[in-house]
Amino acid sequence: MTTAPVPAGARRASLAVPTRLGRAGWLAVAGVASLFLVLIGGIVLGSADLSPATTLAILARRFLGIDLGLTWAPTAEAIVMDLRLPRVLTAMVVGTGLAVAGATFQGLLRNPLADPYVLGTASGAALGAAIAVILPVRGLFLEFGLLHGLAFAGALLSVTVVYKLSRTSPLSPLTSLLLTGYAVGSLLSAGLAMAMYLSGTGLRQIFSYLLGGFDGTNWARLAVAAPLILGGSLAILMRARALNGFLLGEEAAAHLGVDVKKERTILLALASLVTAAGVAIAGLIGFVGLVVPHLVRLLVGPNARLVLPISALFGASLLAAADVVARMLGGVPVGVVTAVIGAPFFLALLRRARTGYEL
Amino acid sequence: MVARSTRTLPAVAGLLLAILLAACSAAPATTPTLPPTTPFPSTAPVATPAPTEAPTPPPLFPVELTDDEGTTVSIPAAPAKIVSLTPAATEILFELGAGDRLVGKVEDFTPFPEAAAAVPDVAKFGSVDVEKIVSLGTELVIAGGNNFNPPESIKQLRDLGVPVLVVFAPDVAGAVADIELIGKAVGNPDGAATINANITRAMDDVKAATAGGTPVRTYYELDASSGYFGPAPDYFGTEMIKIAGGDPLTSGTAGVYQIEAEQILSFDPEVILLGDAAYGVTADQVVARPGWDTLTAVKNGDVRPIDDVIVTRPGPRLADGIRALALAINPKLVLPSPAP
Amino acid sequence: MTEPALLVDGVTVEVRERAILRDASFRLDHGERVALIGPNGAGKSTLLRVLAGTLKPTAGRVEMDGAPLASLSRSAIAKRLAVVPQQTALPFSMRVEDVVALGRLPHEGSIRGATAADRAAVAAAIDRVGLGHLMGRDARELSLGERQLVLLALAVAQDAPVLLLDEPTVHLDLRHQVEAMELLRDLNERDGTALIAVLHDLGLAAHFFPRLVIVEHGRIIADGPPAEILTDERIRETFGVEPALVRLAAGASGS
Repeated sequence: MTTAPVPAGARRASLAVPTRLGRAGWLAVAGVASLFLVLIGGIVLGSADLSPATTLAILARRFLGIDLGLTWAPTAEAIVMDLRLPRVLTAMVVGTGLAVAGATFQGLLRNPLADPYVLGTASGAALGAAIAVILPVRGLFLEFGLLHGLAFAGALLSVTVVYKLSRTSPLSPLTSLLLTGYAVGSLLSAGLAMAMYLSGTGLRQIFSYLLGGFDGTNWARLAVAAPLILGGSLAILMRARALNGFLLGEEAAAHLGVDVKKERTILLALASLVTAAGVAIAGLIGFVGLVVPHLVRLLVGPNARLVLPISALFGASLLAAADVVARMLGGVPVGVVTAVIGAPFFLALLRRARTGYEL
Repeated sequence: MVARSTRTLPAVAGLLLAILLAACSAAPATTPTLPPTTPFPSTAPVATPAPTEAPTPPPLFPVELTDDEGTTVSIPAAPAKIVSLTPAATEILFELGAGDRLVGKVEDFTPFPEAAAAVPDVAKFGSVDVEKIVSLGTELVIAGGNNFNPPESIKQLRDLGVPVLVVFAPDVAGAVADIELIGKAVGNPDGAATINANITRAMDDVKAATAGGTPVRTYYELDASSGYFGPAPDYFGTEMIKIAGGDPLTSGTAGVYQIEAEQILSFDPEVILLGDAAYGVTADQVVARPGWDTLTAVKNGDVRPIDDVIVTRPGPRLADGIRALALAINPKLVLPSPAP
Repeated sequence: MTEPALLVDGVTVEVRERAILRDASFRLDHGERVALIGPNGAGKSTLLRVLAGTLKPTAGRVEMDGAPLASLSRSAIAKRLAVVPQQTALPFSMRVEDVVALGRLPHEGSIRGATAADRAAVAAAIDRVGLGHLMGRDARELSLGERQLVLLALAVAQDAPVLLLDEPTVHLDLRHQVEAMELLRDLNERDGTALIAVLHDLGLAAHFFPRLVIVEHGRIIADGPPAEILTDERIRETFGVEPALVRLAAGASGS
C-alpha cells in the first residue's frame, strides 16, 4: 500500500528514538552538574569575607565529619550553616516547584503562555500577604509567619474559587478556567492595590514581597515548604503519563486511557499546591515557571516524562544562581535577575529553534 | 500572573516614594503594641540581674532595655561595633560620639554628618544584608520598627545572637524617647540628655513664639510626581507642623498620604511648603498647576521650599527642623537664637 | 468470542432537550468492518463518541465485550479501543514519531515509561501507515492530510482490537484515500481488528466495506451489505444525489 521502503523506515525509527533519549540524558547530566555548581557557588559566595576554603572546611566538618585543619570564627559557621545553606536550598526548592508547576499548567491547559500563576495564585498570595501586613496582629503560623501563612492560604483560596466558579460556566472547562482565572486575578489585584493604598509604612513590606526573594529564609521555613513542594512535584512526575495524554487535547486524552476529569483535578490541585507553597516563602518570582519548561521542551520535545524532571533541575539551578547574583549585586530583586539571565538565552534558543510556537 | 499583579505597581510608585520619605523619617502611631509573649525572643546572652540596691552612679553595662516593640534586649558590654539601620539612628549615633563605632549603616541619600557617608552600607530599601552584619562581628544593631526594616531580617539577626534594638518614633516625644534609649544602649546617657534638652528647648521656643496666633493653613507637599501626597494625620510631620504654628492639610485618613487636588483647592492653604523641593519641585511649577493660581498661598507668593529631612527625620536635627519649619510657615516669626 | 465487541441498545442522546440520537441499536462483532454513513448532522459522530465512551447517552445501554462501557475504566477501554479523530490540537511542536508514540500510553506503566517493545510498536505503526519519510518532521508543519495519517498511525500503535475512525480520509487526496482504505482493509482482514469508520464518500464506503450503517436524523435507518441497502431510492432521498454518481465512483475504484 505504500511506496516508502519498509526497512528504511524501520531503521530510521529505531535510530531516532534513542537519539532523543540521549540528548535528554545529556541534559539531565548537565542539570545535575549545574545544580551542584550553583550549590557550591551559593555557599562559597556572599557579602561576608569568608575564604572559599573556610566555607568548604565548615561543610566538610558539619556533613562529613572531616577536619581539614582550618579554624574559623563561630560567626563564619553561622553564616554558612544558618544563612547561606538554607537560602540556596530554598531557592532550589522553589525553582523546582515553579518549573514543574509551570510545565504542568502549560501541558494541562495546552497554553504555552500559562505560568504557575495562571489560576490566580499570585494575586491571591499577594493579597493574603498584604492583608497580613495590614492586620494589627503578629504571630507565627507553622514557622511561616503570618505573612507567609496568609499568602499560602490566599493562593490556595483563589485557585479554589477560580476552579469552582469555572465549573458553573457553559464554556469548555479549559477556556472557562483560563478566563475565570483572569477575572478573579484582576479582582484580587484590585484588592491588592487597595490594600497597598491603605498599608501606610507596611507598603514597604508588601512591595518587597511582590518583588520576591530569599531574604529571611531559614531552616524551619524550608522544612515546612520543602515537603509540600518536592512532594507535590514528585506526585506530578508520577502522573507524567496522564499529562502526556493531554498533549493532543482532552478528548484524545480520554481515548488514550486518561480519566480526564480526575487527572485534571489532581494535576491542577498538585500544581497549585506547589505554586502556593513556593509563593508563600519566596514571594512572586516570575519567569522561571514560564520559560524553563519552554526551554526544556524546545530541547527534548514535549514528553512530560522528560520535560518535568529536566525542568525541575534547570528551574532549581536558574533560581538559585539568580539569587546568588542578586546577593552579589547587593539585594537586587531576584526576579529581575532571573529575567536578565534567562530572557536573552531563551530568545537565542527561539531563533535557533527549527519551529516556533503557534498561539 | 506576575505581570498582572505588578501592573498595579506603577500606579503606586508615587505613593511608594512618599512613603519612602515618610518611613525614612518616622512612623505613624498606629502600630500595635506586642503581647508580652513576644514572637521575637532575643537569643542574646542574658545579663546577670543587677542588684536591687544599685550603687551611685549605676554601671552602664550590662544593661537590659525594652525597645519600641516591647522586646527586652540585653547588651552585656559597651558595644564596640554598631550597625544603624535607620538614617535617624545614624545621626543620633554620630551626635552621641559613637560614630567611630559604626561599622555599617542603611543606605542614605542624604547622609549626615559628612562622616556618615564613609560608613559602609549594609542595608538598603527593603533588604538587610544579614550575612554582612554578622560577619562584621556586630555587637549592636539599631533597626527601624513598623516595617521600616523587614521583620524577618530582624528575627534572623536575633536568631544569630546579635542584639537588635528596634526603634520607631510616631511623634516628637517618641523621637526623644528613642534618643534616650540609644544613649543607654551605647553607654552615653548624658550625651542623649544633652541632645534632648536641645530639642526640647527648640520646641518650647517655637511654641512660645507662635502661642496665641491663629494656626496658618499649611499644605506640606511630600510628592507630586503622580498625584499629590501630603502628610497623613498620624504622620510625624503633621505634629511638627502643628507645633510650628501651622494648620496642616492631611488626607483625613490614618496611613493615607494621597490628597486629592480638589481637597487642596478647597482647603485654600495660606502657605505651601515644598518638602519635595529636593526632587526638583519649584514654586514656579506650583503656580502653573491648573487652578492653583486661585490659592491664597500662590497669590501671596507664600510657596516655599523646605528641607524635609530635618523636619521629619526623628534625630538630633529636629531642633533645627522645628525652627526652619516655623520660619517657613511664618517668615516674620522672631525666635531666640539656637543653643550653641 | 460470542459477546459482541461493541453493543448499542436503544441509545438516545439529548443535548439541551434536542435528540441528536434516537433509540439507536447496533452491534459490532470482533473482526467486523463497518462504515457509518449519512448526511451531515445525522448523528454519526455522536454515535462514534457514544461508542468510544466519551459521551454518556441519555438513555440506553452501551456494552463492550458484554460489560457496560460505563463500568470500565478509561485505561481498560483504551487497551481495547482506539479512536482516530478528524483533527486534534497540537499546542506544542512535536515530532511525528513522538505523536505516534502517544498511542502507547495505555500500555505504559505510570513510572516505568516506554519500553523497547513500545518503541518497536511505534516504529512498526509508522512503517505500516507509510510515514517513514515524515520521521523527524514537526507534526505541525505537515499538511492536514499528513496529520490525519499521523493520527491513524497513533491509533495503529495503540494496538487495540477495535478501531473507531471519524472521517479518516476527509483531508486526503484520492490516491491517499484509496491507500488509507487499503490499509484499513488490511488491518481488518490480516490482524482481525474490528473497524467502524464514519465516511462521507459513499463510493469508497460501498467498495471497501462489507457492511454499511446509514444514520439519518438521529436514527439508524438501514444496516446491511451495500448492495442491499444502497438502493437508488435511498441514495436519492437520504443523500440527495443521483445514484449514477455514486455507482460511477464505486465502480471506478472497484474494478
